[in-house]
Amino acid sequence: MSKFRKGGKKGIPGVNTSALPDIIFMLLFFFMVATTMKEVDMQVEVVKPEASQAVPIENKDDVDFIYIGFPIDAAVGTEPRIQLDDRLAPNTRAVGEWKLLKVREGKTVVKIVTSLKVHEDVGMRLVSDVKEELRDINAIKINYSADKIK
Amino acid sequence: MARREVGEINAGSMADIAFLLLIFFLVTTTMEVDAGIGRQLPIKLENPPDINIEINKRNVLEIMANSNDQLLVENKWIEIDELYDIVLDFYTINKVNKDVDINMPNYTDVDVNICNTEINKLNVLLEKDPENIVFKTEKNKWETKMILCKSIDGGSYKEMNKQAIIQLKNQGGTSYGLYMEIQNILKQVVNELRVLECERLGFPDYFELKEQNPDDQEYIAKLRVLVPERIIESKIDR
Repeated sequence: MSKFRKGGKKGIPGVNTSALPDIIFMLLFFFMVATTMKEVDMQVEVVKPEASQAVPIENKDDVDFIYIGFPIDAAVGTEPRIQLDDRLAPNTRAVGEWKLLKVREGKTVVKIVTSLKVHEDVGMRLVSDVKEELRDINAIKINYSADKIK
Repeated sequence: MARREVGEINAGSMADIAFLLLIFFLVTTTMEVDAGIGRQLPIKLENPPDINIEINKRNVLEIMANSNDQLLVENKWIEIDELYDIVLDFYTINKVNKDVDINMPNYTDVDVNICNTEINKLNVLLEKDPENIVFKTEKNKWETKMILCKSIDGGSYKEMNKQAIIQLKNQGGTSYGLYMEIQNILKQVVNELRVLECERLGFPDYFELKEQNPDDQEYIAKLRVLVPERIIESKIDR
């Protein structure tokens, strides 16, 4: 042990990284709190309309989402299609069956809101058919999804 | 035996673990907040009652949107930004002054006596046909009106004609974007009028009222009577 280093290279001391995990954890918690889980992989493109009167959906557990938009996969065609969970529905009839299968235990279908996420350029025929289908199975609470603007 | 010194755990990989979690959350979540306009579709009755009442034209606001996204309201072609004033007039023009515009729905005064007679009438009907859902809902409505009358100074309020409705007609090619604009305007008018009623009657803030909250249900029921939201959507012609 000499008091004076002889000839040894004078290295720059490494940056102290002991606080790095804390910083990362902080970011992690921020994202955990500020974001929500993605429900599905999108098969259709949905550009939601804007509405000033839109209100946030409160408890998402009691909401089913139906996506109506133009297929992302060009092989499927260009006509607007309905997406239920991760799959494209073959026809509007499938909506009713899907909705009835999704009824939670101890709840009736009337209580579960159906949120329609529809591309703004989709024609009302398809939307109206879906609504009629929902009405047939008494799923009368619906929510037209829109982006909130001031 | 000498106590063995417990070695310190190497925390060097802690950052990596946290990173991994962070990246997992970044990938599987979205920032988007779901918002929307809530509506209720009409219930499908198994045996719909024969309704053959002649509806006065002044009580119907007909909004038609065609496949080219043009608006026809009360047989006039209009732009979307004119719709707000038309809907607002439909609701309010005869409310303050009696029958200013005979093409818009009229308002009548409702007081406790009227409520009583209506409830009695419905009780007689319900005795004959206790399961009739139409009579039951009607009775519920009048009971709410009764509570409302009792809670207002003077004991009466102005009620929009019971037949007043807004009728939405679309064509197959009408864009959803336009439909939502119409829905948004209808909602806006109703919301603004209900906010005014809340202020006038000293109710809590309208946007803070929650249907799940039992205390708020009465306020919501009253506001639905004061500013009714009756939208009828016709089926799209095939």
